[in-house]
Amino acid sequence: MADIVARNVRKIYNPDKRYPVLAIDEVSLEVRENEFVAIVGPSGCGKSTLLYMVAGFLDLTAGEIKVNGKPVEAPGPDRGIVFQHFALFPWKTVLRNVTYGLEEQKIPKAEREKIARKHIDMVKLTGFEHHYPSQLSGGMKQRVAIARTLAFDPEVLLMDEPFGALDAQTRGVMQEELLSIWSKRKKTVLFVTHDVREAVYLADRVVIMTARPGRIKEIVDTKFAGYKSTEEVLESAAFAQKTHQIWKSVREEVDKAGPLDG
Amino acid sequence: MTTDVSNLGGRQAGGALAVELTGLEGLKLPRKSWFPRSTVIRVLSPLILLVAWELIVRIGKVGEIFLPPPLSVLRVFVRLTADGTLPYAIWMSFLRTGQGFLYGSLLGIIVGLFVGWSQIIEDIVDPLVAAIYPIPKSALFPLFMLWFGLGDPSKVVTILVGVLFLVLINTVTGVKTLNPILIRAARDLGASERQIFLKVVLPGALPNIFTGLRLGAGIALILVFVTELEATNSGLGYLLWESYQLMLVQQMFACIITFGILGILSTWFIQWLEKVLCPWSTTVTRQ
Ligand SMILES: Nc1ncnc2c1ncn2[C@@H]1O[C@H](COP(=O)(O)OP(=O)(O)OP(=O)(O)O)[C@@H](O)[C@H]1O
Ligand SMILES: [Mg+2]
Repeated sequence: MADIVARNVRKIYNPDKRYPVLAIDEVSLEVRENEFVAIVGPSGCGKSTLLYMVAGFLDLTAGEIKVNGKPVEAPGPDRGIVFQHFALFPWKTVLRNVTYGLEEQKIPKAEREKIARKHIDMVKLTGFEHHYPSQLSGGMKQRVAIARTLAFDPEVLLMDEPFGALDAQTRGVMQEELLSIWSKRKKTVLFVTHDVREAVYLADRVVIMTARPGRIKEIVDTKFAGYKSTEEVLESAAFAQKTHQIWKSVREEVDKAGPLDG
Repeated sequence: MTTDVSNLGGRQAGGALAVELTGLEGLKLPRKSWFPRSTVIRVLSPLILLVAWELIVRIGKVGEIFLPPPLSVLRVFVRLTADGTLPYAIWMSFLRTGQGFLYGSLLGIIVGLFVGWSQIIEDIVDPLVAAIYPIPKSALFPLFMLWFGLGDPSKVVTILVGVLFLVLINTVTGVKTLNPILIRAARDLGASERQIFLKVVLPGALPNIFTGLRLGAGIALILVFVTELEATNSGLGYLLWESYQLMLVQQMFACIITFGILGILSTWFIQWLEKVLCPWSTTVTRQ
C-alpha cells in the first residue's frame, strides 16, 4: 500500500554543461493508494524522466517526491519499474531474468521458480523459459520484462510504455491481465503510454503533460462505473467522449512541440 | 524480428517460433545448397597448393634449400615428433605461453573491471595504459631480461604484459558499453552494489572480455616466439631459430607449421570456453 506525492518537481539535465535541458518543471501530482494513473504527452515531454525520479534513479533539481510518506532517495523493492526498452539481462534466460528480483529478496529457490513460472505463463511465454533474450522478438522481450517486475510484487508499479512493442491482440490480453492483477493485489500504478484509448480504458485518472518543458496540463477523471463488461465500456459514449477530449488536448501539445522537436 | 503473433497461448507461441525458424531456414536455403560445393573447394584449394608446391620443387625451378618438398617436410615432422624433439619444444613453449596468458588475462580482467567501474581508478590507470600500450611488447623483453634474469620469468612476464593490455582494454570497453539501464534494473530489483558488480557488470562485460582473450592468445604466440630467440635452448621458437642457423630447412617448416597448429588450437580452446561461460553471447546463439 503506498501513495505517491510529487511537489513542484523540476528536472534539468546537464545543468553545468553548455546545453542544459529543462525536461520537466513545476510538476505536482498526487497518486492515491491503489489508484491507477496514466500519463500521456508528446514525445520528449519528460514522462520517462518523471517515472525515473519516482523510481529513485534520478536526482530532482527542485521539489520533492514522496512514496508512502517517505522522500524518495534510492531505488527500492517497494517500487517496480517496467522500462521503455525492456532492460532484460542478456546473459540470463527468461526464467532467470524473472527469478532475479526474487533472488535479491532471498526467497527460497523452489518458491522463486514457482512464482516465476506462474508469471511467465501469465505473459504466455511458457516453453521459452530457457531462451535467452537475444532469441526473442521485441514483444516477447517486453512480456518478459513485465513478468519480471510483476513477479516480485512491488506495491508501486511504474510502467513506461510497457505494451508499446506489442501487437494489438497481445496488448489487449496484457491490459486485461494488468487490470486483474491491479484489482486483486491492490497496487498503486503510474503508467506512461502514447495510446490515449489505453490510458482512458486502464486508468482512474489520466494526466496530460505539456510539450517540453513538461508541466501538467490537465488531469482528466476516467473512471467508468456501472458497466458490466469491457466491451460495454469501450463502446460507451462516455468513453468515446473522454478519449476524444484527451486526444485533442495531447494533439495541441504535439503541434506546439513542432515536427522536429522531441 | 518477425511480427509477434505468439499471444494466444503456449502452443501458438511455439508455433510462432516455428514460423520464425522456418523463415530463417528459408533464408538459409540457397546457402545450404551451395554448402557441399563450398566444402569441396575449401578442401581442394590447399591440396592443389601442396601438389603445385611438390611439383615446382621436383621440376627443380626452386632450390630445395629454399623450399623443401612437402613430403620431405612431413617426414621430418614425423621424425621430430617421434624422437620427442617437437613435443618437448611445444611443452616448453606451452608452459611459458600458458603462464603468461593465464596471469595476464586474470590481471587484465580484474583491473579492467575496476577501471571500467570506478572513475577514480580509471583516472589513475588510464594515463599509465595510454603511455605503455603503444610500446611493442617485444621491445620490453630486453628490459625484463635485465630485471628478471635470463631464465623463463622474463619470457613469461613479456607475454603477460602483452596479454594484459589487450584483455584490460577490452574489459574496460565491455564495462563502459554496458547498457546503464541494466544496472538500473538490477538496482530496482534490489541488488546491492557488490551484487551489481558480480552479477551485472562481470557477465555484461564477458563478451568483450572474450574478444580480449582471442586477441591476447594471438599476441602470446608472437611473443613466445620472439622471446625464445634469446637466452634459452628450449621451446618452439628456439628450435625454429636453431633450424635456420643450421640450415635445416625441413625442420624450419615443421616448426612453422606447428606454430600454425598451436594458433588454431588456442582459437578453438577460447571458442569452446566462450560457449561454456557465455552461452547467451550472440556469437554463440546466432550460429
Ligand atoms: N540523460 C539525458 N541527458 C540529457 N537530456 C535528457 C536525458 N534524458 C532525457 N533528456 C531530455 O529530457 C527530455 C525528456 O525526456 P524523456 O525521456 O523523459 O521524454 P519522454 O516523455 O519519456 O519521451 P518519449 O515519449 O519519447 O519516451 C527530452 O527532451 C530529452 O531530450
Ligand atoms: Mg519515454
